Amino acid sequence: MDNASNLPKVSVYPLLGIGVVSGLFAAMFGIGGGVVIVPLLLLLTKLPPRIAAATSLATLLLTSLIGTVRYAGSDHIDWVAAIVIGAPAVIGVLLGIHFQKRLPADWLVVGFGVLIIGIGLKLVLQL
Amino acid sequence: MDLTLLTICLAIGCGIAAGLLAGLFGVGGGVIFVPTLVLVFAFTQLDAQATSLAAIIPVAAVGAWRQTSDENVYWRGALIMGIGAAVGVLFGAEVATRLPDELLSQVFGAVLILSGGEMIVSASRRIKAKRLG
Repeated sequence: MDNASNLPKVSVYPLLGIGVVSGLFAAMFGIGGGVVIVPLLLLLTKLPPRIAAATSLATLLLTSLIGTVRYAGSDHIDWVAAIVIGAPAVIGVLLGIHFQKRLPADWLVVGFGVLIIGIGLKLVLQL
Repeated sequence: MDLTLLTICLAIGCGIAAGLLAGLFGVGGGVIFVPTLVLVFAFTQLDAQATSLAAIIPVAAVGAWRQTSDENVYWRGALIMGIGAAVGVLFGAEVATRLPDELLSQVFGAVLILSGGEMIVSASRRIKAKRLG
């Protein structure tokens, strides 16, 4: 099983670049984060899919914290709504990780491919 | 948000779906949160994005914690990407106001479709090769 403690060495520049691109896209399209991070990690760093997905979540923890602090002073955040959708999502993420561990890595990549094609269609067709 | 039985049920459904995607694929859930808040709860795009960011915090925190206990998180990479993303957001906000975003998001969408297709094709080849091998 792949493990984050015995990874191939990843240089700092592709990681920094992936971060910048994901932030750029988040600001420009409202879609950044994992949708950009995971495919670029697979493409540029050769991290195994499971590690890429888990590491993407850790990055999102940082970016969502920073983003929330930035908006916290304004009245754009509906805290009640954030809790009402965020709390069930915590249950969802635990379920998702449970399934992820049982799914072969190649099937995980297929599933992710289907997901981003769906998002891509949504953007192209302006739905 | 008005809390009625219907909105709470919808919010729970959308939350669980977003969390599942987060756990399975490492996306935050904004892909589901933002359109749901806009279309179902009549949020403005900006309010939806800001609220979605706040809702992602517990998801990413619990997910990263759970994955860390299985040693799946490459924290050095996450920190470096996080720093890069903070820089990217600042630049993106500048650029976003100066570009025709409809065409741009269609181009971005096309790139996603192509990369999704490439992922499926290459992963299917590996699956097939393993079956034969």
